[in-house]
Amino acid sequence: MSGVAPARGGRGRDDRERAAIRTGGKETMVTLTIDGRVAKVREGATVLDAARAIGVRIPTLCQHEALEPWGGCRLCLVDVTKKEWSGWEKMVVSCMFPAEEGLAVSTASERVVATRKVVLDLLLARCPEAPLVQSLAREYGIERTSYQENPEPTDCVLCGLCTRVCDQIGVSAISTVNRGAGKEVAPPFHEAPPDCIGCLACAEICPTDCIPYETSDLGRTIWGRRFEMVRCPHCGRAHITKEQATFYAGRGGVPESYFLACDACKRKQMAKTFTTLSLAK
Amino acid sequence: MNGQPCVNTAPLDEILARYPASETALIQVLQDVHRAYHYLPCDVLVKVAEVLDVPLAKVFSVGTFYKAFSLVPQGRTIVRVCTGTACHIRGANRLIEEIERLLKIKSGETTEDMGFTIKTVNCVGACAMAPVVIVGEQYHGSAQPAKVAKYLAETEAGHEN
Amino acid sequence: MRIESAAAYDEFHRRALDSAAAHRQEVLVCCGTGCLANGSMRVAETFTKELQARGLTAEVGNFTKRTGCHGFCQRGPLVVIQPAGILYTQVKPKDVAEICEKTVAGGTVIPRLLYKNPADNKRVEHYGDVPFYANQTRVAMRNIGKIDPTDIADAIGHDAYAGLVKVMFEMTPERVIGEIERSGLRGRGGAGFVTARKWRACRNAEGEHKFVVCNGDEGDPGAFKDRSIMEGDPHSVLEGIVIGAWAVGAHEGFIYVRDEYPLAVVNLTVAIEQARQHGFLGTNILGTGFDFDLAISRGGGAFVCGESSALMRSIEGKVGEPRQKYVHATDKGLFDRPTVLNNVETWADVGAILLHGAGWFAGMGTEKSKGTKAFSLVGKVKNTGLIELPMGMTLRDIVYGIGGGIIDDRPFKAVQTGGPSGGCVPESLLDLPVDYERLAEAGSMMGSGGMIVMDDRTCMVDVARYFLSFLTEESCGKCVPCREGLKQMLAIYDDLVAGRGKPGDIERIETLAAGMQLGSLCELGKSAPNPVLSTLRYFRSEYEAHIVAQTCPAGMCRDLTAYEIVPELCNGCHLCFKACPADAITGETKKLHTIHQEKCISCGACYDVCPTEGAVRFYPKNRPAENREAV
Repeated sequence: MSGVAPARGGRGRDDRERAAIRTGGKETMVTLTIDGRVAKVREGATVLDAARAIGVRIPTLCQHEALEPWGGCRLCLVDVTKKEWSGWEKMVVSCMFPAEEGLAVSTASERVVATRKVVLDLLLARCPEAPLVQSLAREYGIERTSYQENPEPTDCVLCGLCTRVCDQIGVSAISTVNRGAGKEVAPPFHEAPPDCIGCLACAEICPTDCIPYETSDLGRTIWGRRFEMVRCPHCGRAHITKEQATFYAGRGGVPESYFLACDACKRKQMAKTFTTLSLAK
Repeated sequence: MNGQPCVNTAPLDEILARYPASETALIQVLQDVHRAYHYLPCDVLVKVAEVLDVPLAKVFSVGTFYKAFSLVPQGRTIVRVCTGTACHIRGANRLIEEIERLLKIKSGETTEDMGFTIKTVNCVGACAMAPVVIVGEQYHGSAQPAKVAKYLAETEAGHEN
Repeated sequence: MRIESAAAYDEFHRRALDSAAAHRQEVLVCCGTGCLANGSMRVAETFTKELQARGLTAEVGNFTKRTGCHGFCQRGPLVVIQPAGILYTQVKPKDVAEICEKTVAGGTVIPRLLYKNPADNKRVEHYGDVPFYANQTRVAMRNIGKIDPTDIADAIGHDAYAGLVKVMFEMTPERVIGEIERSGLRGRGGAGFVTARKWRACRNAEGEHKFVVCNGDEGDPGAFKDRSIMEGDPHSVLEGIVIGAWAVGAHEGFIYVRDEYPLAVVNLTVAIEQARQHGFLGTNILGTGFDFDLAISRGGGAFVCGESSALMRSIEGKVGEPRQKYVHATDKGLFDRPTVLNNVETWADVGAILLHGAGWFAGMGTEKSKGTKAFSLVGKVKNTGLIELPMGMTLRDIVYGIGGGIIDDRPFKAVQTGGPSGGCVPESLLDLPVDYERLAEAGSMMGSGGMIVMDDRTCMVDVARYFLSFLTEESCGKCVPCREGLKQMLAIYDDLVAGRGKPGDIERIETLAAGMQLGSLCELGKSAPNPVLSTLRYFRSEYEAHIVAQTCPAGMCRDLTAYEIVPELCNGCHLCFKACPADAITGETKKLHTIHQEKCISCGACYDVCPTEGAVRFYPKNRPAENREAV
């Protein structure tokens, strides 16, 4: 049976490329209102994009511009309606719902606020000690959770950003494991993940900084794995791991030696080359 | 890996030969693996990841998401008690308690001699015969706690007990 | 032998009928999972042996057929002798010799094996006269119990694929979709979405590569109609799927069968192979040049995979996490291709609708819910089993008319419909006609068709807790309101049933319920509060008893209930002693028995087994001995 299997991993993309993909390269604009204010965005943009374009703040946790929207945290819920819906409204996650012509969005209707409060209250019960969760909850008037506090508090809100960025980079070293309330982010078999390249993207993208790591010139440790660093031949700084260099070389078809130099020194080299070229003229 | 002994990979090779080498076959492969080995051994999962070209993390994710799979060795006979609604209101709890009492383990656990594992199942679709206990492949409808000892004794593992 | 024209089909059909007519009698033994659980396979094997031994074999015209589920599971193993239509119930292997001699050979009935109608205590000979069967209208289940599901010739003799033949040689895809639309067919898996709309959207979607999928996940505990259809008449499902594929322009399909239904997988596999051999599946179907083939995809054990987007991820080999469906599956579904996903029963209806016409189907049912629906009637009802009825029959008709009322004639309390997404309907609403809209208005829903009857020995707080416990294990964990909300809701209920309920709990439950309904990503989370809200709506007093008085009126919550034996009424029958799992009862035969409170776990087994009314009674655990009353 032929089913179409999607390609493993993905490539990194820049902002413009991502926006173009999301909007399908379309140039048509759509006009909508958000809390009564007019917003105009390209067709294919999301309601969240539109809100940000006019400076309306909608809280998010699991959304990140580098990644496809996921719709898991539910904080960005808004009420939407259209004139032809005769007053019927529906609650949607603004990070995924497409901005459409004539859409009227309420980012703080009574039921949106009530639902956001429940979500934050639940998150606070799960992660009572995470500063980000505490401050978001406080914004909605919640100082302590009304539910049972997690007997083993964690700072992980299960936003999935770490696993999603790892997939996006094309490594997929970690994943979410189990289901339901027992779900957690973990490496395979809860052991040091064999596919990890030590790039730290997961730790850096984590909104609550709950992925521990150590890094120095002497080495890097994350997820129980120890990595050796590559030193820049020009300045001696240890800037990436050996595994990163090998991985990037493998993806791009560029020799590993290219990655030995750190970004700063690469730029200096490039500048020298151009200077030399123009002098040669 | 994981402190587990290496397993015989011959059954695995035979299973992998049956399916296309892609992600779509993953769950079917894992089910056949589970049937052959009575659980999902970790070195088997590593090989599955390799052959199907699926990241190991995703294989592990799938292996832990679905209830059909166990990552630790299970008993030779699985005792499944249905905990569907009809079975629940017709006394599934009492059945579970009786089985736990007789085997001296809790639901989800395996006896020391690896004879039995107790599992609960969220509905096997024999609701008109509630409550239902499945011992190995044998279905027992209108099951009664008083008869549990008999159901268990009818199995090989039961004879050894 | 491939069938490649309408004429070839008619010829095959005629020969199948002739071959069936050559049998003077048929012995049909139910081999659905329910009867198998009661040993019907041995009964079937014994019949084959006995009929042979007595020279009553196929040559002479007597024939044993192993069929799918007859539906009357409570009375299994079931055997029907045709053409007389004699129904024998609870048949044991040791009865087979007598049946062969007296009925098959001798043409007489054996009264003790006939169904006894509890309403008038009379034995009923013909299965058509058994109220359980007499009131049914079987469309999706039309052939189950009549055919051997592993014999395509038998199925064709009963009109299998006749609808497909008509469609492919006499109709256009647009006309097919029009017929389905006129029939009023709505999804039989739960949501009741208009089937034709889905098909049309997929047909019109961009892209050449489309899929049709059959949802055989049937996760609702208490429902088993899809299992019976897949096991008992897999060809009805295949026929519908091929028709659907042809109508929308799909060439590939999947039948997703949950892991817990191994016999369904086996019978479907056989049926698929036979369908391919006969030209109903594969390349050049019926010689028309249309290619379509499908594969079975087995589930891994996850209720959430009944949700269409999670199911598709599972077919793709991924975890069953649903996707937000702002883009419909009919545009981007399986492998991001346009996909039609329908329930087993929906597919099973399709062939019959196209064969007999939209008007025929639409002539049954109510204004907005046309046709028939399969239900599994289970729980504390006398006649449990699988039934198919026109939409619009009342719950009273079903529970009492077909179900025969409550076991031991205990008081009716509620009927739970729609599985974990549904709700409980109380006695005051027993005259509710059953259709999509009416059940939803009452705070429940149709769901898969599970109907679980509950009596006074059911605690409604415990029922809500049961569903929460079920869903907590089944939540995929992707979104906060469902993953965390179910956990916290269950924690509140664990407190309620243990006597730790506090004032304000009901308000907390209601706030959390609203958050889950509005905030969850998929229907699992959104409808999870339904059992909670419906039990609160109709049985609030039970909640208040648990919270304020710390008592359980039904006597089921163990932490709140104690049992005792009333000395004046105990006759020493010793049954409670035998039933007690905790060795908490002492007493000798014919002497007074006593329950020892320090060992008693309040399971209630003694209460349920005691034959003397009132001899065992329960009372609230927290009331002092002197001023307690039996609740």
